[in-house]
Amino acid sequence: MKRHPAVLLAVALLLFSFALISYRIIWLKYPILPAAPERVWHLSIDAHVKGGEKETRVMIGVPYTHRGQTVAEERIHSGTLNFNLLREGLNQIGVWSGTLASEGETIGYSSTIRVQPQRLFKTKPSTLEPYPPNIGDEEQALAKRLVGRWNSLPPENRLRRIAAAVRGIWGTPSPDNEDLQAWSVFHEKHGRLTAFLVLFRAAGLPARIVEGLQLAESITNSTFTWIDIWTGQEWESLQPERGEIYQKPAPLLPLTTNGLPAVRVINGELSEARWTLTHAIIDQWRMHFERIMRSDRFLDRWSLFRLPEEFQRTFRILILVPIGALMICVLRNMVGFPTFGIFMPVLMALAFRNTGLLYGLGIFAGVVLIGYVVRRWINRLRLLLVPRLSVILTLVIIFFTVFALIGNKVGLRELMAVGLLPFVILTMTIERFFVIVEEAGARQGLWTAAGSAAVATITYEIIQFEPLQLTFFVYPELLFAIAAVEILLGRYTGYRVSEFIRFRKLKVTR
Amino acid sequence: MIFKTPSWLHQFGLLGMNRRNAEYIMRFNPRSFFPLVDDKFMTKRLAEAYQIPTPLLYHVIEYHGDIAGLEEVVRDHPDFVVKPARGAGGSGIVLITDRQASNLVKPSGEVISWIDLTYHIFDILSGIYSLEGLEDRALIEAFIHPDPVFAAVTYYGVPDIRIVVYRGVPMMGMARLPTRASDGKANLHRGAIGVGINMKEGTTSTAVHRSTIVTHHPDTNCPLTGIQVPYWKEMLHMAARTSEMTGLGYLGVDMLIDKERGPLLLELNARPGLQIQVANQRGLRSRLELIDQAPSGIFISPEERVEWAVSAFAKSEA
Repeated sequence: MKRHPAVLLAVALLLFSFALISYRIIWLKYPILPAAPERVWHLSIDAHVKGGEKETRVMIGVPYTHRGQTVAEERIHSGTLNFNLLREGLNQIGVWSGTLASEGETIGYSSTIRVQPQRLFKTKPSTLEPYPPNIGDEEQALAKRLVGRWNSLPPENRLRRIAAAVRGIWGTPSPDNEDLQAWSVFHEKHGRLTAFLVLFRAAGLPARIVEGLQLAESITNSTFTWIDIWTGQEWESLQPERGEIYQKPAPLLPLTTNGLPAVRVINGELSEARWTLTHAIIDQWRMHFERIMRSDRFLDRWSLFRLPEEFQRTFRILILVPIGALMICVLRNMVGFPTFGIFMPVLMALAFRNTGLLYGLGIFAGVVLIGYVVRRWINRLRLLLVPRLSVILTLVIIFFTVFALIGNKVGLRELMAVGLLPFVILTMTIERFFVIVEEAGARQGLWTAAGSAAVATITYEIIQFEPLQLTFFVYPELLFAIAAVEILLGRYTGYRVSEFIRFRKLKVTR
Repeated sequence: MIFKTPSWLHQFGLLGMNRRNAEYIMRFNPRSFFPLVDDKFMTKRLAEAYQIPTPLLYHVIEYHGDIAGLEEVVRDHPDFVVKPARGAGGSGIVLITDRQASNLVKPSGEVISWIDLTYHIFDILSGIYSLEGLEDRALIEAFIHPDPVFAAVTYYGVPDIRIVVYRGVPMMGMARLPTRASDGKANLHRGAIGVGINMKEGTTSTAVHRSTIVTHHPDTNCPLTGIQVPYWKEMLHMAARTSEMTGLGYLGVDMLIDKERGPLLLELNARPGLQIQVANQRGLRSRLELIDQAPSGIFISPEERVEWAVSAFAKSEA
């Protein structure tokens, strides 16, 4: 096929549009389907603090955005206290500080969290930390002796052997009785967490203590502790009390790592601390909204979301008008719908947003019909074109006024919203309707009116479709793709659906 | 069958609206030439220069003041036609056939006053009937007394002949016969009958009325097929010459047959309709393709183009 310049232009526009979208998705991490529903967690932490005369500081570990976890819509309740977010190592700590009144203060934190476990468990490995400081050389040597026989095993298996050993299952051949005795003394002295950490260190497995929550719908008044172990490819989580390894993905929400407590209070006392986790389903878009608002990337700074709220609403609709135009192209040039004027149905569809579809169509039909009767009568007056159209326009405005007054009396907002119907378009429609009825008969006139109403309805349904609104608002470059399709339609020289019927009376073949 | 499939229509060689617009009108009819055909006054002037006969022009009304001379001009012509120079689809045309006291009589017998006619002309001047609502001129022309050949199949009004011409080659013709429903107008969308014309013989074939095939005129009940169109060859030549005259490659040429003067060019149409295909039961697309493959020598003169067309299209009509 010969390449037409229009086709090349359309392809270029499509490529441009998709390149921008891909850039946003791949580099700026935009959601592919902004309007798609997504399961997220809603976390809220509430507590009551009481303090003394000195300044009180409450430090609570809170989740933050990193690979595999997105945190958005963070809300803080701090009352009379100051609030700060601090980074401490791999942790993010919310710090409430200030001098408390005698009755204390209620503090709170809430956020929406999206967890993608398959990415979470692939974070970079940490290096092997030194032994805990209170472990002597002899104890280190003991630990090394105990795990030495598993050194040839792959890390996952080493982890499982150690987990079993702490539960008392050492396997065959069991270690020297002397060592086992020494180990139980060690276990007793340092506690189970340290026992695990020392064994993992001796076996060359990076491990860290994590404090957090069970990832399940729950209300608890404390966090709990587990151990994450790096097995070369990913982190595995171990429940220390039972010595059990969690199935992947582990249903855990870490709040602080590397042994930092999830809650610390200086000069005060925390009562009624409560962590609440609930499931929620939201638009994917909401997880990204705040990040984009804060981002310095060029496309983020030039996002439509940066517009003031009241103009955003206009653009949400405006940006869909080209889709309406595209629909007109399809319905007129491929299907062959007759309509009054080219873009009249699009303007009607926009007006229907205020009146609602049924009232909109009703008012439209009513005005055109009454307008037609008046126009017929006015025809006898032989008015010149411009004054005659002005009379019809005035008539349309009179109708609107009457509708609004009636709407007010009977309490129908839809009738009062009538003022936003495109009155110029209605005026021209009355004129066109009259001319078509005069020239081609009432049937053709009604047929064209029905075609216009159908196209307006289809267009209305499209621009009212919220997911589409959001998608175009997030990716305005889709307009170039729309233009490309319109260009391609401009080169459509095939038959219209209406022609299959129009030429049904053809009989002979050549 | 209630409808045809696209492949059937393609096989048939039918020309669709989209293809006509994109491949023929946009390619062969430069926009700058449109005024030549959209304005009947300009068409008339041009036709005179090319010795193509048109209906006699009595008077042109361009300003409101020009109306003063109208009664004087038509004093010796009891019948005349008022038409907007830029009117489309026959709108705004008023036929006057007679006088009754100081009033005017329309073909339907309706009587109107001079004041009524003056207001109608004001409407024309203000652009009510013009294509883009532009200010317009009113033409006062001779009433055509049509050749009686179609008298039996015309309700009232004047039948005309439409020939579609591509690159100067006449492609297809049809007679357009007014009915009661079309109010004496010869436009198919107003309810006139279209009757296909055999290219070689110049005889009428299938007739279409409002998208149904008919054999007899609905008002006069006379048969529509087999009528020998007079001056057929001459009209083919006239149609062929309009391409040199206008520079447009895809044209609908509308002609009347006057009882005394023979064929007259009425108007040209840069966007001729597609219904002619139903009236002829032939597709324009296959003929367009045939013309594009014709030896380049034929495009030199109108005579050669007509000769080529008659022999080339006669095959498909045999």
